[in-house]
Amino acid sequence: MPTLIKLQGGRAVLANDAFTHVDDDQSLPPGDVIISLTRFQADGERLLGEGRSVGVRLEPNEEAEALAYDLPRLALVALAFPKFRDGRQYSNSRVLRERFGFQGEIRAVGDVLREQAIFMARCGFDAFEPADGSTPEQWEHVTRRFRHVYQPAADDRTPAFVERGR
Amino acid sequence: MYRYDAIDKEFVADRAAEFREQVNRRLAGEITEDQFKPIRLMNGLYLQLHAYMLRIAIPYGTLESRQLRRLAHIARTYDKGYGHFTTRTNLQLHWIKLKDAPEILDQLADVGMHAIQTSGNTIRNVTADPYAGATADELDDPRVWAETVRQWSTLHPEFSYLPRKFKIAVTAAAKDRTATKIYDIGLHLRRGRGGELGFEVIVGGGLGRTPHIGSTIREFLPTRHLLSYLEAILRVYNRHGRRDNIFKARIKILVATLGAEEFARQVDEEWAKIDTSRIDLPDTELARIRGEFTASFETLPPSSAVLEAAKAADPAFARFLRRNVHPHKQPGYAIVDVSLKTPGQTPGDMTAEQMELVADLAQRYSGDDVRVTYQQNLLLPHVKLDDVPEVWRQLAEAGLATPNIDLITDIIACPGLDYCALANARAIPIAQHIAERFADPDRAELVGELNIKISGCINACGHHHVGHIGILGVDKKGEEFYQITLGGTPEEQAALGQALGPALPATKVAEAVEQMVEVYLEERKDGERFLDTFRRTGVAPFKEAVYADAN
Amino acid sequence: MRALTANRLADGETVFWNNGRWVERFVEAQLFDGHDEAERAEAAAKSLQTVVVDPYLIDVIEAGEVWAPLSYRERIRCLGPTNHPQHGKQAGGGADIEALVHAEGAARSTGRVNLIKRK
Repeated sequence: MPTLIKLQGGRAVLANDAFTHVDDDQSLPPGDVIISLTRFQADGERLLGEGRSVGVRLEPNEEAEALAYDLPRLALVALAFPKFRDGRQYSNSRVLRERFGFQGEIRAVGDVLREQAIFMARCGFDAFEPADGSTPEQWEHVTRRFRHVYQPAADDRTPAFVERGR
Repeated sequence: MYRYDAIDKEFVADRAAEFREQVNRRLAGEITEDQFKPIRLMNGLYLQLHAYMLRIAIPYGTLESRQLRRLAHIARTYDKGYGHFTTRTNLQLHWIKLKDAPEILDQLADVGMHAIQTSGNTIRNVTADPYAGATADELDDPRVWAETVRQWSTLHPEFSYLPRKFKIAVTAAAKDRTATKIYDIGLHLRRGRGGELGFEVIVGGGLGRTPHIGSTIREFLPTRHLLSYLEAILRVYNRHGRRDNIFKARIKILVATLGAEEFARQVDEEWAKIDTSRIDLPDTELARIRGEFTASFETLPPSSAVLEAAKAADPAFARFLRRNVHPHKQPGYAIVDVSLKTPGQTPGDMTAEQMELVADLAQRYSGDDVRVTYQQNLLLPHVKLDDVPEVWRQLAEAGLATPNIDLITDIIACPGLDYCALANARAIPIAQHIAERFADPDRAELVGELNIKISGCINACGHHHVGHIGILGVDKKGEEFYQITLGGTPEEQAALGQALGPALPATKVAEAVEQMVEVYLEERKDGERFLDTFRRTGVAPFKEAVYADAN
Repeated sequence: MRALTANRLADGETVFWNNGRWVERFVEAQLFDGHDEAERAEAAAKSLQTVVVDPYLIDVIEAGEVWAPLSYRERIRCLGPTNHPQHGKQAGGGADIEALVHAEGAARSTGRVNLIKRK
C-alpha cells in the first residue's frame, strides 16, 4: 500500500487508504476502488449501484469536464502524473474545485514529489501518494513556505491584492 | 516606478529561503538532478559550458539606482565583474557557483529583485516599452499592465509546469519597441470606440526552429479583464499544448495547428466559464499599481541654452544628440540611450564599474530610473536637457556613449558558443568583426538604420529571424558557418527574414555585410533605410554581390 | 580515443575524469582507448550525483603533438570563452593551454559521443 498523505485544514497527515487502485485488465476486488475513466464509463453505474465508493482516475489528456455529471456521486478523483513536469492536472484540479464545486478527494498519483506540494495544494489537491518517500511533515512544510500568494486559485488563500485592500 | 510593499518583499524573501532549502537538498543528494533541474530553472539558474549562469529578472526592463548598484556588487563579488543584458531585458551572469546562488538571491531580495521564472516552462519576465512613462507616443503606461501580469504570473500554481516557456510583452505606443509580434502573447493598448482603454491581444508569435508572427485573436479586450482573459489563454495552452516534442511545444504551434480563429473560439469558450470577478483586479488595486508609476516633472522651457551651446561647440556631442537622444513627453526633458555596443566590445556586456556609474547618473539625472532595452542597451528615461551634456561627458568617459543606437554597429548578439551549452557557433566574434569594420561613426551614420541580429543557434535568442540582416550560426563539420537572412523586422509590418544563400564561413561574414551595405548605398533612393531598399529590390542584388566570386 | 567530462555540481566548473577523481585541466584527463573502459567510467561517474552533473564521453583526436577534443565546443569548455582570454581555464596559461588554443582538426560542433545518430 503506497503512502497516502491527506491535507486537512492546512495540516498534512498520514492516512489509511480505503481505496484500491484497479487497472483496466484487473478484476475488481470488493470495497472502494479507483478505476480509469474508460472503465468508469463502462462499469461506473453498476459499481455505484453496489454501494461502493468509487474514484475515477484521469490521465493528463483526459479532461475533468468528462466527469461533470458524475461528480456528485464520486468520492474521489485521482489525477495522474506520468512525469512530475506534466502540468495538465493542475488545470484539471482547478476545474474540478472551482468550476464544478467538487467536494470529494482530489488525489495526486504517479510521479508526485514534495517540491510541487504548494502548487498542488493551491490547485485543490488534498491527497497525495508521494513517489519520493516524503513525509506529511515535509509536505506541510512546503505548503507553508510562502506567507503570501499573488493570485486566487482553488484554495482559500487570500491573494495579495485582497490583503492590500483590507 | 513600482516599489515593493511589505507583501512583495516577504514574497521574494520566502522564495530565496525556499531555494536555499532546495539547493541544500540537492547538494546533500536528497533530490536528484532530474528532480532539481526544473526547480533550478524556475530560479533562473542554467548550467552552461564553463559554469552556472544566473538570469536575474528585470521586470519590464526597469531598475532603480540601488538595484543596478546591487547588480554591480553581485557581479563583482560572485562573478567576474561584469554582466550581460539580454534581448528579454534580463541580466545574465555567466560564472556563478550553485553554492553561492542562495546568498545571491537573498541579496537580490533585499533590493526587491529576484530570478523567479526567468527560465523553465513558466510564464517568464514580462517586457514593456522601454520608453514607458517618458514618451508622448503612448496611450497609457504599459508598465501598469506589465506589473499586473507579473504579479498574477508569479508562482501561478496552475501554470508553473507548462508545455514550454511563455513570454508576454506589452506596448502602448505606435512604435513597438518591444517586439510584441514575436511573443507568445503580445498586448497592444488601444482605445475603444467609446474612448475606453483595451488591448489588442496577439498570440502565437515566437522564433526558434519554427518562427511565427503572432495573430490577433481579440481586437479589443477591456483592460479590466486582462487577467481573466490571460487565464483562459493559458489554460487552453496548458491543456492542449503539445508535450511530446519540445520543438513543437510553444503556443505558436497550437495556434498554427488550430488556426487563429478556432484558437480564439476555444479561449472565448474557456473565458466564458471563468469567474472574472474573482480573477480580475479590483479598481483599487489597479489604481494602486498605477500610482506607483506616476512620475512628476518640473516645468521647464522646451529648449536648453546649455545644450545648444554644447552642441554648437562639439560635433561629437552633436552626433550623440542625433543618434542617442530622443524627445520626451515633458518639455525640457529627453530620453538618453546608453550604448553597450562599443565596437570591439561584447554586445550587451557591462562592467560593474559601468553599472555603478549609470546608477549614479540615474539617481542624479534621471529620477532614479534606468531602463534596459531589448536591443541590449540601457537608457535614462528622464534627463533634463540642461543635464544632457554632463551625462554625455560621464558616459563617454566610461565608454558608454558610442553614438550608434539603431545603426549598423548596434548589433544584437546572443552569448553563443563562447558561453552557451545550446549553441552551434559563436556569435560574439562575428558581431565584433562587423562592428570593427563600421567603427567610423561617419560611415555608420551614412549607412543609417540597420539592425543586425546574430544568434549562435536555432533557438534564436539573438532574434536573427527579425533582423534587417539576420545571422544564424550553424555547424558544418566542425567549422562555424553562418546563414544570412534579409528583411526581417519585429515592428509594424512584422516579417521574418529571407534567406540570402548558402551559409558562409566565419571569415567571410563581415565581408559579406560590407558587400551588402555597398549594394544598399548604391541602390537606395529618397532616404530609404536598408529595410526599405531591400523591400523594393528583393534579395537578388544582395545575393549577387555576396556570392559573385562563387562561380 | 575518448575522455569523460562533466560539470562539478557545486560550482559548475568543467572537469575531466582521471581514474576516479576529477581534474580541471584537459591535459590531465584520462584517455580511453577501449570502449568498455570508457563506458564503465561513465557509469561510475553517473553514480556520483552529488559531485558532478551530467557526465558524458567525448571524442579526442591527435592534433599535432597533443591530444585535443574533436569538437570545438569541447575545446571551448577546456579553455574558456574566446572573447575574454583572461577568463576561464585559459587564463592560467601554460604549454597545455597554448597547445589546445592552436590545435587544428576540429570536426564537429557538439562534443557528445553518439549524439548524432548515423543512419
